[in-house]
Amino acid sequence: MNQIIPVGQPMARLEDQRFLQGTGTYIDDMVLDNQAHAFLLRSPFAHATILSIDADEARAQEGVLLVMTGEEWVAAGYKPIPCRSGVKTNRDGTAYQEALHHCLAVDKVRHAGEAVALVVAETYAQARAAADLIFVDYDDLPVVTTPQAALAPGAPRLWDHLPDNVCLDFSLGTPDETEAAFADAAHVISLDLVNNRVTAVPMEPRGCLAAYDASSGRYTLWNSSQNIHANRGIFAEMLGLDADRVDHIAPDVGGGFGAKNSLYAEPPLMLHAAKAIGRPVKWVAERTEAIASDTHGRDQTSTVRLALDADHRFLALHVATLGNIGAWCGTVGPFTPTGGSARTQGGPYLFPAMHYEARAVFTNTVQTDPYRGAGRPEASYQIERIIDYAASHLGVDRFALRRKNLIPSQALPHVTPMGLSIDSGAFAVIFDQTLALADHDGFAQRAAAAREADPTKRRGFACVPYLECTGGGPKEEANVTFAADGTLTLAVGSHSTGMSHETVLTQLLSAHLHIDPARVAFRQADTRATALGGGHGGSRGMEVGGNAVQQVAGDIVEKARAISAHLLNSTAADMAFDAGRFRDSKTGQEITFDDVAAAARDPARLPESLQPAAGASALDTTAVFEREAITIPNGVHAAEVEVDIEMGTVEVIHFWAVDDFGRILNPMTADGQVMGGVAQGIGQALYENVVYDEETGQLMSASFMDYCVPRADHMPPMTIIYYEDAPTSRNPLGVKGAGEAGCCGAPPAIVNAVCDALREFGVTHIDMPLTPEKIWRAIEAGKAGPAA
Amino acid sequence: MPTLSCTVNGQAQRLDVPDDMLLVDLLRGPLKLTGTHVGCDTSQCGACVVHVDGLSVKACAMLAAEVDGADVLTIEGVSAPGEPLHPVQAAFKANHGLQCGFCTPGMVMATLSLLANDPDPSDEAIKQGLKGNLCRCTGYRSIMAAVREAGEAMRPDPTGKVDKAGMADHANNASQGQA
Repeated sequence: MNQIIPVGQPMARLEDQRFLQGTGTYIDDMVLDNQAHAFLLRSPFAHATILSIDADEARAQEGVLLVMTGEEWVAAGYKPIPCRSGVKTNRDGTAYQEALHHCLAVDKVRHAGEAVALVVAETYAQARAAADLIFVDYDDLPVVTTPQAALAPGAPRLWDHLPDNVCLDFSLGTPDETEAAFADAAHVISLDLVNNRVTAVPMEPRGCLAAYDASSGRYTLWNSSQNIHANRGIFAEMLGLDADRVDHIAPDVGGGFGAKNSLYAEPPLMLHAAKAIGRPVKWVAERTEAIASDTHGRDQTSTVRLALDADHRFLALHVATLGNIGAWCGTVGPFTPTGGSARTQGGPYLFPAMHYEARAVFTNTVQTDPYRGAGRPEASYQIERIIDYAASHLGVDRFALRRKNLIPSQALPHVTPMGLSIDSGAFAVIFDQTLALADHDGFAQRAAAAREADPTKRRGFACVPYLECTGGGPKEEANVTFAADGTLTLAVGSHSTGMSHETVLTQLLSAHLHIDPARVAFRQADTRATALGGGHGGSRGMEVGGNAVQQVAGDIVEKARAISAHLLNSTAADMAFDAGRFRDSKTGQEITFDDVAAAARDPARLPESLQPAAGASALDTTAVFEREAITIPNGVHAAEVEVDIEMGTVEVIHFWAVDDFGRILNPMTADGQVMGGVAQGIGQALYENVVYDEETGQLMSASFMDYCVPRADHMPPMTIIYYEDAPTSRNPLGVKGAGEAGCCGAPPAIVNAVCDALREFGVTHIDMPLTPEKIWRAIEAGKAGPAA
Repeated sequence: MPTLSCTVNGQAQRLDVPDDMLLVDLLRGPLKLTGTHVGCDTSQCGACVVHVDGLSVKACAMLAAEVDGADVLTIEGVSAPGEPLHPVQAAFKANHGLQCGFCTPGMVMATLSLLANDPDPSDEAIKQGLKGNLCRCTGYRSIMAAVREAGEAMRPDPTGKVDKAGMADHANNASQGQA
């Protein structure tokens, strides 16, 4: 039997047993009776006109049940995949240039790996073999893979209906004040930065399984997705179906990190195929296919300019970005490099003026869409990188420069020139706390010792604040039903793809009601279980999802209080709830929550106002929480690295994090969020890079042999502590969100630390990922520099 | 189609398999042991690690026919579903060594193998021992802590000098519990 664990304490995870014993159920573990298998023929060209497709031979193969092309898809009346970008207006007020794709390419392919034809067969091997027999006559076209190339005069155009390759031209902030500040500044520092294209790589590749019941006309879609409710509606709209006829369910999902939020072609294709052949149809991506067709993240190139006065106070920040959004508008693709990256510009620093401008540009690459952080890591990288760069050019201490410009606590609440409202934080306090935690004072000695032990080694250190904000759907549902046997079911519209919600949300309910968590069954990501669901994204799990559970628990206690008063002939106002018992403060009479719950199923024992539906409990409750304002998670991350100056390799010696996520509900699972995010941040800084060949548009990094996901030997020891003394009152739980911190803090911490290590060689910047070759070349250039 | 005889999680199996069937497809398909996962197509992620005659192998890099006569242990044989966890699994749980759970069976199988060969591994040995297994959620440090703690829990002798036979017995007992 489990124990009731108070909120704020580590509670062991309820989902672990099934995962550890191999009895989790991921999409590919599901087998339905009579299930058929799908394979997608994908384009080998990055940009080509489709002259014709001959699928006759494929259709004639043994076991083949269905072959479909883009032309047939459009002829069936299906709509393209829509764009739900939060920004669709250019700076001049005109509408953005929209380019949408169909589930299967029509007339033209626009990136290597775009789906061209669907093949469904009795077995996966048959479907795959038949796809090889489809003859597609391509006429290949010139390719652009970078925004710079796509914007060049005479560049090939991806979309005939658009005059150029620009999707969205965006501007936010105070441009006039910013330019005036630059004109008056004592110092202007400018730096060009590349935020490398990366991919989320959830260990479970994407997949889905669709079934159609002809007798009821209902569909069921099991999908390795992190956005079940919203995407159901959109899939239904694309296919011209009533959304109520589609049950959308995520079984166990093996990681998402944003990439499983997006709308993809495969789920609508499987829904169509399941009805067309009258059998369930499953598709699961192979890894190479996943890297080529999952949405990618980041891929921004920016010019960052910082204006300072003579006293080194920040006057203004100007960032001009080109965002590579790929071949078409992703689900929210145009938003990330524009509005998404604008939100947290300037970090936790006081800026009188700021201007962020960006163009989202189409190229012959897979679409970009949110990846863990989605714009916040880019903004964090820009400000933290230019501060270290400025400090070395001005010859000032980079930590003193930060401390001087951090927003003082007494200046809160503060609205930045980007319009971001910061309610709480102790930026200077945790900055000093992190420097002390990392023993910055002892760094020089550690560096000298390392160099003495091995003359090829150079130590570097960095300490960077970050500031982010939550996002994602503002509403969330939690409902609780009570069974006759004393068990409860907690159903939520938020969605964990590994983030421990099953544990922490159950912990919240259990602690609130004083009920053994073993009595609580958990359901999520299922349109049958909750009417509403915001899924997962923007670190909203606890901020919106947790508060929904807090709200439903509070509502249940109030109902139970009324029932307890009725049962004891008292009044609700006199009934105090503590440790699972209601106590009449006047008479001292007590009744347990369980006794109340038992009575709640018996209409004869209940007041008129709380009569349950037949067979239900009067305590069955649904709550919908809606956030009033987004929260501002923040923190300070520090890294110590050791560079081998002969090999160009980097070892991260230690990583420190002081995070202000508001109230910590379960420190063990919060640690998991930080460590995982830091690992992905280190991955982006040192190892990961999606590479397209600029001439052919071929994806050069489509397997784990070419795309370097960090391994165990890449990860440093980490020290993580939480600062809980700057509470937010923006939600009842007082939580700020934890999921994206590591991706914001780690990349600038690592790059700044490496540049610090290479100071003697005059190295002030290297673009991510900091591969041994780039580092070695920077060192060699530095060595040559002073001698020349 | 050749006939294959082998033992899987203590149970004798005899079945016809195609020449080109991979071990992972045998386990996940006909044997319905879906705890062994497929996370890549180039034998690099380690989600499919199982033991064949006590050695850890990537089940996507071996033909089913190659386990003829062999003793195969999968995650389902380490402890029976619903029963108490094996010390390695318990250490993963205690140290939050898993999040989404997809890489976890492979990690557990790799850890069993690592500890069988080196009951008291250094951090460097743990890193090297887990190099063939990718995890995208945890950042590995909690997994490393789990491996250390499992090693401690499984070493009968506080000096750390352990008989490897004892480890093997443990695994066998677990698989027989399933049979």
